[in-house]
Parts: sequence; structure tokens; C-alpha cells
Amino acid sequence: MNMDKNGIILKIENISKRFEGVHALDGVSFSVKKGQIKALIGPNGAGKTTMLNVISGLVPPDKGNIYFKDNDITGQPPNIIASLGMGRTFQLIRLFTINEATVMDNLLIGASLTLKPGILKSIFLSGRVKRQETKLKDKALEILNFVGLSGKEGVLPSALSFGNQRLVELARALMMDPKMLVLDEPASGLNDMEVENFKGLLLSLKDRGITMLIVEHNMKLVMDIADDIVVLDFGKKLAEGSPKEVCANPEVIAAYLGTKDKNGDGVLCSK
Amino acid sequence: MNIMERLKKAWWILPAVILGIIPLIFKEKSAYVSGILIFAGIYIILAVGLDLLMGYAGQISVGHASFFAIGAYSSAILTVKYGISPLLAMFFGMFLSGLIAWIIGRPVLALKEYYLAMATLAFNEIVITLIIEIEWLTGGASGLKNIPSFSLFGFTMKNNLHYYYFVWFVVFLVVAMTIAIVKSPMGRTLIAIHSDEVAARTFGINSTKYKTGIFVLVNVFASVAGSLYAHYMGFIAPDDFGVSTSVNMLVMLFLGGFGTIYGPAIGALFLKILPELTYFFQDYELLINGVILIIVLVFMPKGMYGIFVAMKRKIGFSRE
Amino acid sequence: MGEYSHLFQFFFSGITTGSIYALIAVSLVIVYRVSQLICFSQGEFFVFGALFMATLISKGVSLPLAFVISLFGSMAMGGFLQWLLIRRIQGSSIGNLIVMTIAIFLALRGLALIIWGRESYVVRPFTESQPITFMGASLQLQVFWIAGITVFVLLLIWFFFEKTMLGLAMRACAENPLGASLMGISVNRAAFFAWAWGAAIGAIAGMTICPLLFTQYTSGVMPMVKGFIAMSIGGLSSIMGSVIAGLMLGLVESYTIGLISSKFSDAIVFTLLILVLLIRPSGLFNSQR
Repeated sequence: MNMDKNGIILKIENISKRFEGVHALDGVSFSVKKGQIKALIGPNGAGKTTMLNVISGLVPPDKGNIYFKDNDITGQPPNIIASLGMGRTFQLIRLFTINEATVMDNLLIGASLTLKPGILKSIFLSGRVKRQETKLKDKALEILNFVGLSGKEGVLPSALSFGNQRLVELARALMMDPKMLVLDEPASGLNDMEVENFKGLLLSLKDRGITMLIVEHNMKLVMDIADDIVVLDFGKKLAEGSPKEVCANPEVIAAYLGTKDKNGDGVLCSK
Repeated sequence: MNIMERLKKAWWILPAVILGIIPLIFKEKSAYVSGILIFAGIYIILAVGLDLLMGYAGQISVGHASFFAIGAYSSAILTVKYGISPLLAMFFGMFLSGLIAWIIGRPVLALKEYYLAMATLAFNEIVITLIIEIEWLTGGASGLKNIPSFSLFGFTMKNNLHYYYFVWFVVFLVVAMTIAIVKSPMGRTLIAIHSDEVAARTFGINSTKYKTGIFVLVNVFASVAGSLYAHYMGFIAPDDFGVSTSVNMLVMLFLGGFGTIYGPAIGALFLKILPELTYFFQDYELLINGVILIIVLVFMPKGMYGIFVAMKRKIGFSRE
Repeated sequence: MGEYSHLFQFFFSGITTGSIYALIAVSLVIVYRVSQLICFSQGEFFVFGALFMATLISKGVSLPLAFVISLFGSMAMGGFLQWLLIRRIQGSSIGNLIVMTIAIFLALRGLALIIWGRESYVVRPFTESQPITFMGASLQLQVFWIAGITVFVLLLIWFFFEKTMLGLAMRACAENPLGASLMGISVNRAAFFAWAWGAAIGAIAGMTICPLLFTQYTSGVMPMVKGFIAMSIGGLSSIMGSVIAGLMLGLVESYTIGLISSKFSDAIVFTLLILVLLIRPSGLFNSQR
């Protein structure tokens, strides 16, 4: 199989996952093309976050295979998957806060794959490590500037607003130069203005060639930025296609009407 | 680099000079004073290592005395029973501790919170039981006597002063290494693992590898402390390395300031000097340590170092 | 017959120590259920119960009265510690909670050292008689006291948690603290009673084994660790599970001592159980997780 030829960066094959007898995922297959923004949507409990966790290696699947950039990553630990160039953010913000870690500390932790920290290295090669770190600090400042947080590098994450904490998470993921970003509800908890800002960021990341897989409840955002949508319901793939196709799909409409989702209100496509 | 930065880099000179001249100040009492400071130094090595493990990497240990024991007994057994040179014995102890830590580190550090705490405590008890029961080698419950003095390249340490300078040289080495780690990307990696191990792994951090690595390092530190202790004391018994000792290290850690490296060093110094100043009966030490730990947890969660930092900030603020 | 009688002997001594582990495990479970906290100082109540009773008896107090006084004393001590200390750091990290119970452990052990010194204490059996012989195994009557008291305590706990208002309230707290506090059940009060109960049960374990075991100020660690092991095999919050696990642990230990090695039994049992923890960290009997 050669995914590269077809322009596919991530291929999900027949993934199933059970939690205590409940099918969280049931034979889901789809693929993500290089450079596109793919959205994963569905009512609460459809298995979206489980899917992301399986992809980034936090949860091993019971059945099926996952390929990323021509590597079989099924059941691989998250650090290996990350090292292939997959970055992710979390639905509930998970910044590092112990020992008064600052925003800059968080970003530098994001660059672990470049820094390759080591015990002996930090003792005996401290000069070289310092120089490398200085370079990465410049890069971090650039990225903070890009997401609109310049001047916040020395701040504790807890001192930032919720929206800004989300931006720090994005910036931290960007520090690893990801080929692909997996974003779990990046817009939840943001106000309208912040969502617009975030949308702009995601689109300019797309311009830079970063592939994205995004789980999101904010349908307006999804319709605006997604090239392609997969709909999950009760762990099964309900539909897949362009935003227009998905909007017109009667099964999708029924699923959304039936659940009265807190954001969807049964209205999938407002435009 | 400006002068302030240069001064900050050379922070260690001041305590080094103070410690260097202490024996000269106390003159005829210097053997007594340096004796106390030798103990304090040995415990600083242990407490600083424990802080790297607990305060930074976030891995609870209620059995830090285990490798203190392994180091001490390696040195004692090899020098007493096999006539091996103390330096070589110390290196063997470090190697053995590192190896054991590496073997048990991977599975044990996969445990979390209560399980990890209890597993380390149980390991401490296992080590003590083995020491007591393998009597032909370890001398059992009554311990090992006549451990020779430490010698280094033909120079034998005959008095407290020799040990004092040597132990504190090792203390500075250990603290410097620890600070180097903490200030480097490695320190940040440990903070990440401590904060949120799952999230850390999604940035390519192999948490198992780093946790095991740090566990090996701090236990090698503990082993060195054990070797120094054995040679200085000349006599060791299993009681010196029990769970009480491990728990005392926790008291030093929290009293000084969890996760600050310098704090636990201050804590160890304080807890080893305090009983000497107040002439408490030996039997009261446990209770006093317990009460100190309780008070620290309730009223000063950042420990002595935290108070020190707060004071410094206040002074800095008033100047502005 | 001779060989079998050995096996019986080991069986009964296993049940005896197993009952003690079960009691300690249950006392840990009760505290854990209400406050999600595993108390490292639980073994000290074991010591205080036993030593306090021994002192009372040596001062001429009759055994049943000494038992009751020591029981209520330990109960008060447990409740007092929760009220004085645990309440203050409720809500801080698990690491801090663990260290707080370790601090209490250290303080109580230090207190025991000051009060009772380094000597070991033992009291006379609850009923004095010659050991009886059963299937070739020689049995101390105290074994029956221990088994009987364990069963009685377990029944009492069952009754308390299933049938009394306070017990049901405490269960509600354990299952859903927020919901319970909305219903007007004070989580703090429930934790207070859990600590009092836990201390009392720990003390009962110490008092009933005291005639068979030389108890001193350091005797608390082993029962606590083994109670914890039983509790975690049982799945942390299951009373039934930890009782079964405690009994099994006692039996494994007794047969290890009898058949393999008496010297290394603790090391062997610990290693075995660290292995169990590694394979099934959520416990062998746990169905909840």
C-alpha cells in the first residue's frame, strides 16, 4: 500500500473499541488527505473523542488498523506517534502547571522531540543544550506572536483567560512542527470573537501545509473551514463527504434532530 | 553577560566559603561541629535526590532509605569481608543500586499514587528483612562493625575534618548536578510528567524512560550517601535504614520546600542540627518530626524555602 | 496423619493472621470509601489499641473493661485526628494527603515510643485454657476469639452501612459527594465517623491479636501494609473483597512460612503481592473499574 501516492496522510481502517461492553467505536473507517482540514462530528457520546484518543495512541483499539504517513501506528504508544509528527490538543485544557511552569516552559516542553532531553546530556553538555534552547526560545516567541500571545511568555498559564489558554495549547502543539494536528473541540468555551480568531489561525496553518483532524461542536466553524466531514453516531460512521453533501444527508439530519444537541439544536447547517 | 548574571552563576561560592571556614571558627569544638555537619551533608544528598524524584518527577517514594541501605551495605561488606578498597566498593554500590533501580523502576513506577507509595514502602521493608535474615553476609540485626575509614588514592581519612571536607565536596557535586538537570530541558520534561503524564507523552516524551532514568540517578545518589555513612560511622545496623529513616527524609523534603531542590537541603540541615541545639532526648525525635511535618503541611505548604522566597519578594517590592 | 496435621496447623494460623489483615483492610476501606484517602497511619491504631489495653490490664483493670475503654479511646482518637488535621487539607493533591497521613503515622509512632518505650507487651488470652487439639493441630483458644470478633465486627459493619441512617448517608457520600452534600449530608461529618470507625476497627485488630503477638511501638507498619495489600487486591472500596483477600493473604503467608521459609516469608509475600499489583492494579475482585 502506498498512501503517499494517493495523497493520504492518515488512514483509519475498521477501528472498533469497547468500553465495559459498550461499543464506543464500531468498525469505523476513513482517511485524511494531506493538507486538508477534516472534521469529525456527531452527537455527544458518538465516540469522537475516543476516535482521537485511538489515533494519538492514548487508547489501544480492539480491532482495526491505523496508518500514519505509511507507518502502521496501531497500538503504538503516544510518544512514538508524536515522534512521527502528530500533534494534538485536548478538549479540557491540559497545560503543565507544576512548579510554576510558565507559558514559555509549556512551549519548550512541546519541543521535546527537537530538544531530546537527557539526564547525562543536561549535566555534561549543558552549553550545547543552552544554545539549542535559545534557538527554540526564539521559535517559541515567533509562534506566540503568531497566535497573538506575544509578551505572555513569562506568565503562568493559570493567569490567562480560558481562550488564551486554548491558544497556548495550540502554540505548544505547533512547537513540535507537526505534519498533522488533532484538535479536540478547540472552540468550546470560546466567545464568538475568539472563535473567529481561532478560525483564522487554523486556516493560516492550513496554508502552511499542516493537515488537521478536528472534532468540533460549533457547526458554523466546521462548515466554514472543513474540506471534508465524517459523521459518527453511536460509534458508527453515519456519513462522509463535503460539508454540502453531509448537510443534505437525511440520516445525518435525523441523527441530529433526534438528539437535540446543545449547540446543534437540530439545525445542522445554518447557511 | 553582565555582572549580576555572573554573580548569580557564582552563587555557590558563598556557602562554599562559609562551610570551608566553619571548622576554623569553632577550633577545639570543630570535631563536634563537623560531625553534625557530616550527617547533615549525607542527608542533604538523600533529600535533594528525593526532591528530584518527588518534587520534580512527581513519583512518591516512602522507601528512599532502601538504596541508602544498599550503598552502605555494599561498601561495608566489600571492605570488611573482602578487603576491597573503599573507593571501588563505593563504585560497586553505585553500580548495584543503579542496576536494581533500573530493574524494579520500570514496573514499580508504572504504579501511581497510593500504590507507588505502598510499593516503595514495601520495598524498603523487603530490603531490611533481607539484611536481617542474610546474617552470614550482613551481620543480621546486630549489624556490621569495624568498617575501615574511607581512603582516596592512598590518602586515608582519619578524622572528622577529612570526612567533613570530602562529604561536602560530594554534596556540592550532587546539588550542582541536580540543579543542572532541573534548569535544563530535562527538568521541564520531569515537570511535564509530574503535571500530566498523558499529555506529556503526546509531545513525544517517553515518560517510562525518563521516570526510570531519574529513579536510577537518585538511587545512585542515595547509594553514595550510604557508602559515606558506612565509612564515617564505622558501624551500621538495619535500624539505620528502616521506614522511619525514609519518612524522616520526607519530613526534610516538605519542611524545606517541596520541588525547590535548595529547600530540602535546608530542611535536612535544619533537622540534623536542631536536635543537637536543643538536646532533645532521642526518643522524642520521632514525635517532633511528625508534628513538624503536620505543621508544615497545614500552615506552610511551600516550606522554609517558600517563606524565604516570599520574604525576598517583599523586600524587593518595598525597594521599588 | 502427621503431615496433614501440619497443613491444618498452617491453615488455622493463616486464618488467624488473615482475620487481622482483613480487619485492618476493612478499616482502611471504610475511610477510603468516604474520603478517597488511604490512611498510612492505620497501623498505629492497631498499636495504640493493643498497648493501651495492655497498660490498663497491668494496672488491674479487668480484661473486658480494658478492651472497651481502649476501643472507645481509639475511636475518639481517630475522630479527633480527622477533625483536627484531615479536614484542613481536604481538597489538596493526593500526594499531600498521603504525606499528611504519613505525618500522623510518624507523630503517633513517636507518641507510642514516648509512652510505652521500646519494650514489647503481651496480654493474657481472653479465656485461659490449654490449647485444644483438632485433627492433630494444636489450637489456642484465642484463635476462636479472633475469628468470632472478626465475624461480629463484619456483621456490625454490614448492619451499619445497610440498615442505619448514618451508614446509608456515609455510603451516599462515598458514591456521590456533591449529591450527598446537596441532600444535606455533611461529607465532613461522614468522614469524621469513618475515621472514628476505622480507628476502632484497627484497635480491635491490635487488641484481639495482642495475646498471641508481642506488640511494640513499631508493630503497626506490617499490618498496615498487609491490610493495604488486601484492600488493593480486593479493589480498594469493596469490604467483602478485602475480607476475602485478607484471609487469602494470611493463608498464603502461613503456608509460605510453614512450607518454604520462615525467614524470608515477608520478603516472599511482598514480592508476590507487588507482582499481583502490577498485573491487576485495580484489584482482583474489582468490578467497578
